[in-house]
Amino acid sequence: MDPRQKELLKRFGSNVTLEEKEGCVYLSGEVSSWEDAVSAGQLCAKSGSKTHVVNDIRVSGLEMKETKIPRFTDDAIDGKRPDVLIIGAGVVGCAIARELSKWKLDVLLVEKEYDVALHASSRNDGMVHPGIDIHPGLVKKKLNNRGNRMYTRICSELNVPFDRCGQFLCFDRKNILPILYMTLPYWLLTGVGATRVHTYDSLRKKEPDVSPEVKCALEFKRAGIVCPYGLTIAYAENAVQNGVKLSLDTAVLKMKLVDGRIKAVKTNRGTVFPKLVINAAGVFAEDIAEMAGDRFFSIHPRKGTNSILDRKARRFVNTTYSLMGTQSKDEHTKGGGVVGTVDGNVLVGPDAIETPDKENFDTDAKSIKNTFLRHSQVAPWLKSGDIITYFTGVRAPTYEEDFIVEPGRRTKNLLHAAGIQSPGLTAAPAIGEKIAKLAIKKLKKTGRVEKNAAFDPVRVPILRPSEMSKAERAALIEREPDYGEIVCRCEEVSRGEIIAALHRPVPCATVDGVKRRVRPGMGRCQGGFCGPLVLKLISQNLDIPEEKVRKGTQDSELLFGPKGAAL
Amino acid sequence: MRTFDVTVIGGGPAGLAAAISAEKEGARVLLIEREARLGGVLKQCIHDGFGVIRFGEKLSGCEYGARFIKELEKTSVEVSCLTFASKIEKTEEGFLLTLIKRSGLEEISTKTIVLATGCRERTAKQVSIHGSRPAGVFTAGTAQYYLNVMGQMPGKRCVILGSGDIGLIMARRLTLEGAEVLGVYEAKPTPSGLMRNIYQCLNDFEIPLHLSHTVTRVHGDGRVCGVTTAKVDEKMQPIAGTEEYIECDTLILSVGLIPENELAEMLGVKLDPSTKGALCDQLYMTMTDGVFSCGNALHVNDLADYVSESGDEAGKNAARYAAHKRELAEVHFDRNFLYVVPQRIDLTDKSKPAVFFFRSSEERKKTRVRLLLNGTEILKKTYQNLRPPEMERLSVDLSALPLEASSKLEFVMEELPS
Repeated sequence: MDPRQKELLKRFGSNVTLEEKEGCVYLSGEVSSWEDAVSAGQLCAKSGSKTHVVNDIRVSGLEMKETKIPRFTDDAIDGKRPDVLIIGAGVVGCAIARELSKWKLDVLLVEKEYDVALHASSRNDGMVHPGIDIHPGLVKKKLNNRGNRMYTRICSELNVPFDRCGQFLCFDRKNILPILYMTLPYWLLTGVGATRVHTYDSLRKKEPDVSPEVKCALEFKRAGIVCPYGLTIAYAENAVQNGVKLSLDTAVLKMKLVDGRIKAVKTNRGTVFPKLVINAAGVFAEDIAEMAGDRFFSIHPRKGTNSILDRKARRFVNTTYSLMGTQSKDEHTKGGGVVGTVDGNVLVGPDAIETPDKENFDTDAKSIKNTFLRHSQVAPWLKSGDIITYFTGVRAPTYEEDFIVEPGRRTKNLLHAAGIQSPGLTAAPAIGEKIAKLAIKKLKKTGRVEKNAAFDPVRVPILRPSEMSKAERAALIEREPDYGEIVCRCEEVSRGEIIAALHRPVPCATVDGVKRRVRPGMGRCQGGFCGPLVLKLISQNLDIPEEKVRKGTQDSELLFGPKGAAL
Repeated sequence: MRTFDVTVIGGGPAGLAAAISAEKEGARVLLIEREARLGGVLKQCIHDGFGVIRFGEKLSGCEYGARFIKELEKTSVEVSCLTFASKIEKTEEGFLLTLIKRSGLEEISTKTIVLATGCRERTAKQVSIHGSRPAGVFTAGTAQYYLNVMGQMPGKRCVILGSGDIGLIMARRLTLEGAEVLGVYEAKPTPSGLMRNIYQCLNDFEIPLHLSHTVTRVHGDGRVCGVTTAKVDEKMQPIAGTEEYIECDTLILSVGLIPENELAEMLGVKLDPSTKGALCDQLYMTMTDGVFSCGNALHVNDLADYVSESGDEAGKNAARYAAHKRELAEVHFDRNFLYVVPQRIDLTDKSKPAVFFFRSSEERKKTRVRLLLNGTEILKKTYQNLRPPEMERLSVDLSALPLEASSKLEFVMEELPS
């Protein structure tokens, strides 16, 4: 008997069966909890294997939540025949779109949410990883290394703040120091890049506020930080600027296949007929693969929560640091620790919890408490009183815990960028490059594909007067007085910036959308003062009645209409 | 570069009073306000109860503010609205302020600064509310702005967490506008707001007050669809098994105010961890020479009248300040006090009685408060009851006292048999 089946028998009795066919391991049956279903999958998966686990095990009594999709339908994209349809406008989908905009192609990028970067791409700690704990044989290792190296150029082209600040992995035992020196060749060999061993004193010169318990550390100089949704928005804007069509609020519902090719893709905004489809759907990549007749892997959602600390805490963190062994119980979480962000805050977390619900962004007091407890070991200055808010993201791992960046196995005109979890943000530029290369190769088989001579790699950012010199700022305000009217005082955001955010290549008409672009409401008062002002600016500038202005997603209108009207 | 003797930052009840009183002393005064209109939070306070102490009559917040604005118009105070103080730097003559306004970026020089920046509201995340992040979770002040300034309904079926005064006032206000207020939940065993508001805003409208209860979770995708409430133990921790789901579309929070001192911190002004405002002497000068603090930026007051009173004093003293060296004595107090303001006494000016404000650390019945100088009683006052939500005011004549920097001036509190 297959040793994995034997093990399944031992753990779950005859409830779970395994069948290996067509290069996949199919699991079926019924167990009593989601944890069991996941551990059955993990038990049968081999890290990095190309033979993927497809997990069809049901959990008794568990009703899977339906995917949240827009309630409305229209014909906005009906009948379109794009060369490429990209599904999912997270950082990966947007990076692919921007890469493809270097070619003369009709590219349609669809996203079921009201904005780009709403799932994992806005719900992570923004670390650009050096790739220290990824096995060298994995797909994600290569893409991480390449992506990391691309960051400086990409961020300068897209005008996104990026700080290659480095990362400290701390140790609480002094006797480990000689071993740290011995690891140096390994880091060089595996492409992690410049690495330095720090003694007690040299570490404190860089990070004076790490716990006195920390005795030595490794510094990975290629680590950096970026604002993950800022980067995604910038990618999307630059793609649109170079000809990509973006359709938001657009959920893929069904696909029609003929002879192993996707002929038609039905959405709530019409049916489209693409030559090639790219699956960049994050936690929904498995669902898209299934619609496309190419489901050869499974995604098991894993959520993680981060706390955001007040700017006041930033003085304790120059870079990012964590204590070895405390990042997370789950070995698949790369980051973790305390991260100083490009926006001047500090992030603490994340944890890692398996969940059946792909859109479960709820936070829990327990997560916050546990991550604080864990990271206080390296950062004794952590105070829950400094928390200004917290957020949860859901990772999209396969059971093999590796990325799938390859052509469809059964469906011909399909490419997958699936199983993208940490370090997906780091790898995104490289995934974009690789998928675009595969796409061009496929498209060239059926016709000529030319370079887009008009491609402009530079994205013009929204002006940020508070970061300008006094003279520059004075000149700007003289030209455009709206930049002299501060609307959000915690983050010093002007009316001019907010109005600019409403008129960019990627549409934005919500309070949260504005917040992600220019930061009003990101500060310590969390929009208490500026929330109504931002709402009014959206209403006035986009001609939407105040009571129709939304916080974010559908049904999130903030107000019920003028008082005195019948309730 | 324009120069001023006194620059008042903030045009609410404290700043208005400070600007007027500084000008009366003959100072050249600049008043800056980041909003388009003066008045601060008074603009949205259409309820009454303002001015009872100061004017001997019950005014709405708007009327109360208008009285100061009218008086201000008669003065030579320069008023600059829609103006944001972006940066403050210490200079030899005083301070250099970078102001951002629609007409441009302006640097001004000022000998003194009065911080009248008010306070902000504590948010849902700061009281550890979890769950999803739908629309419909507002702090009470923001809800008040939507309703009273914009004329828009922020909710139809509301739950209010926290029994702070703005929350209580909003419970009544929303009810009057036709919304349903399902209840006010307070984690503490006693209400946080003034007793008069408990009667006038809740009891009169039959809105239930649930003490020792909190909201633990928010539910809803787009809009709030409900909240989970729970009973809490003595440590204010939710008790398992007491959870209750309440269907509602709005959660309003009135869970405390935090003095705004970001500008003070920029100047390195020393703050008091219990008030979260600046440490100051009886002239309202902070531990940074030339920087004064008043109103809710100094400590959260219960009545606007007291806010204005501290503004009067801070403005006047800022105008009088002429780089004289201070000599400070510390004000001590025992643990029965939540805090006492001022925390220091400037010994170079004992001409006027010092006005102390304090709050008790917990609810007490009959209590005696004594002020001791080096162990000798110099003042005593008996209170029938003391409650943390209610501020107490004590005026002390210092002129005849042998007060020195090394003296121990101490407030003590003892409960008396009733």
